[in-house]
Amino acid sequence: MVAQFLRLKLRLLGNAFKRSPWQIFGLIVGIVYGVGIAFFAVVALIGLRFADPDIARNSLIIAGSVVVLGFTLVPLVLGIDDTLDPRRFALFGIDNRRLAVGLIVAAMISIPSLAITAIALASVITWTRDVGTTLIALVSALAIVATCVLASRVTTSVAAYVLSTRRAREFTALVGILVIVMISPVVIILSEVDWGRDGARMLGSIADGLAWTPLGAVWAAPGDAATGEWGLAFLHLLIALATVGLLWLAWQGLLARMLVTPEREGRAKKYEGLGWFDRLPANPGGAIAARTATYWLRDPRYRNSLFIIPISAIALTIPFVVVGVPHHVVALVPVPVFALLLGWSVHNDVAYDNTAVWLHVASGTRGRADRLGRLFPALVIGIPVIVAGSFFAAWYADDWSLAGALIGVGIALLFSGFGLSSVSSARFPYPVVRPGDGAFSQPQNTGATMALAQSIIFVSSVILSLPTIGLAALGFFYGGDWYMWALLAGVGTGLLVLIGGVALGSRIFSRRGPEMLASALLNS
Amino acid sequence: MKAEPTAEPPAKPEKAEPVEQSPRAEKAPAAKSSPQFSQIVLSMTGLSKRFGDKVAVDAIDLSVPTGSFYGIVGPNGAGKTTTLSMVTGLLRPDSGTVTVHGIDVWKEPERAKRSIGVLPDALKLFDRLTGAQLLYYSGVLRGLDRDTVVKRSADLVTAFGIDDAVNRLVTDYSAGMTKKIALAAAMIHSPRLLVLDEPFESVDPVSAANLIEILQRYVESGGTVVLSSHGMDFIQRVCDHVAVIVGGHVLASGTMDEVRGEQTLEDRFVELAGGRKAAEGMEWLHSFSD
Repeated sequence: MVAQFLRLKLRLLGNAFKRSPWQIFGLIVGIVYGVGIAFFAVVALIGLRFADPDIARNSLIIAGSVVVLGFTLVPLVLGIDDTLDPRRFALFGIDNRRLAVGLIVAAMISIPSLAITAIALASVITWTRDVGTTLIALVSALAIVATCVLASRVTTSVAAYVLSTRRAREFTALVGILVIVMISPVVIILSEVDWGRDGARMLGSIADGLAWTPLGAVWAAPGDAATGEWGLAFLHLLIALATVGLLWLAWQGLLARMLVTPEREGRAKKYEGLGWFDRLPANPGGAIAARTATYWLRDPRYRNSLFIIPISAIALTIPFVVVGVPHHVVALVPVPVFALLLGWSVHNDVAYDNTAVWLHVASGTRGRADRLGRLFPALVIGIPVIVAGSFFAAWYADDWSLAGALIGVGIALLFSGFGLSSVSSARFPYPVVRPGDGAFSQPQNTGATMALAQSIIFVSSVILSLPTIGLAALGFFYGGDWYMWALLAGVGTGLLVLIGGVALGSRIFSRRGPEMLASALLNS
Repeated sequence: MKAEPTAEPPAKPEKAEPVEQSPRAEKAPAAKSSPQFSQIVLSMTGLSKRFGDKVAVDAIDLSVPTGSFYGIVGPNGAGKTTTLSMVTGLLRPDSGTVTVHGIDVWKEPERAKRSIGVLPDALKLFDRLTGAQLLYYSGVLRGLDRDTVVKRSADLVTAFGIDDAVNRLVTDYSAGMTKKIALAAAMIHSPRLLVLDEPFESVDPVSAANLIEILQRYVESGGTVVLSSHGMDFIQRVCDHVAVIVGGHVLASGTMDEVRGEQTLEDRFVELAGGRKAAEGMEWLHSFSD
């Protein structure tokens, strides 16, 4: 039975090479990456054989904990497509225990599993210092592999089972973003530490803490033994083995449950009234604006950019603050970044509809109504944020005249982005995540249009804003009326590009309806 | 190992039964006399489409009389969806013309599309909207004002029996419910011509009977329905005109009686489509493995 599962997994891996060239390329990149990481880790671990046991222990615990955490969280957040989902074997009538063992053994054959096996074996070399330590290291190495493989199997199944409903999937995407946001304070705190003076002590206390958790215990045991702390070594080994045992029980329990539970149905929420449709005018443009606004709030693909854009605009200032760039320079960063990203974010809007765009085609919707309607929510979000953000930045920089220049640059970038996007989303749609798929999953075939459209829109909206940016720069260096000219130039060029882009985009949309639908069908 | 026996699937008569029991069923559509169909609402001439090397639709000529209930039947991949997509302005033909109520669909798309209601097969809907929002959206895109849309939405919701679903997101609907809301959205602007691609797939028999009744009333009041299906019994019972499309060609078209003659539509169709394949070589299926 186990041999059959192994063969199945090998066959699946082999078939992965029969797909499209781009997917094979991705697979090869993955293998090279995995082999590369494993190789460097092995070399580092062999090098640690000759290091001071304290340093070896602490660095191994910290790095190892991150690895175990990675094996646990990555499947949960990314919702990896599970080729060996236990439910696929439900109809074959295999005994639960044998299925659990077979699937775990099959899971050993994957790039991450093989990499962690190599790393675990190399960690034994690190601890070949005396017989007792080597023995503990051997047991730990086995426990490391078991912990990582079991943890990723358990969380993959949790992702496939508990999080299988649409709403739960959207929720995890948000959690993922929040985790990323929450990591940044940790980074800032760590950046405050004077590593030259008390770095080693800091690492020591982090490692000691992690050694008591299931993440670090398995890495700590041989290190404790090497430093002569045999009591601690056995305690940590006990924690590690208990972790493996609990994970095994969890895996078996989860598998037994999954086999007898059909896919979950989410409970549907009720919505009263027509929402945005009640608030916006009852004409095609107004309805499309209301539909787009509803999607910005309800569809995770839009909602994620609603979160990510302001966060990245602010997060980008963190490194500047950390290295000590003066306030009045840092204040220049967020507003233009926000405007640029928001203007750029709608450049493939039609593709987000997928084939649902047939309704616009079949009803003979005019291009202008479509183009303006789609821009509406981004405009309503963008303009106030740019104005308020500019005043806030001016206050932060302690120079009120800066507000006008920032508004000018912001509007120039935003409107240029909108104008160019109006053309590109009608003329050069490329496949995106389909409605209802996980927000971080990727479409099958993206091709060269994606990279081309993305970079051209991005660079062009900067180029179109260069006059405004230049005027603002003059104001920054020489003062005087230049800031006022930047405001006027920004609003002027922005409006020009926006109006031109919408006019051209409208003509394209009206003419190319069937072609847009055809390109959406390629990704349906 | 579940090989499908090639004999007649038993599901078809089952699906049809509840409809036949409805009072509507006695009304034989073919009873309509021919002078009633003197005007042509939809005409296709020389309509062709190829995808790469494969000719999907090959110079189809077809006329659909006003007030007819027109069925298009054909095996999978015959070109039904391709033809209907070209009629509704969703797929640009390689050559040929389509006129609806005398207006060329591909020369004056905006004017022509006003008279057409569309239910495509296998295309998505804006499913993050609630049912009510989708109806409103479809109505307003078609140029209706707020009061009209709201009133018609309410009527459609009652007629289609989807009251309890209109405030839920369309993405949470079952397949049959989705078809119903899409059909309601296709009718909201009271089009002259309804083009429906596989309208009753995955709709339960009771709802199907209900929808057929709505469509028959629409036809009685002068509207025209063109629909595609592989359900022969269904087409024979409901439609008064039929066209058989196989391999991108129209093999037969006209009133139901003209096309089927003395046979059932199903027998006539199988004859046109190249005869029944003998269900041989599966003897192992007749002795069971346990």
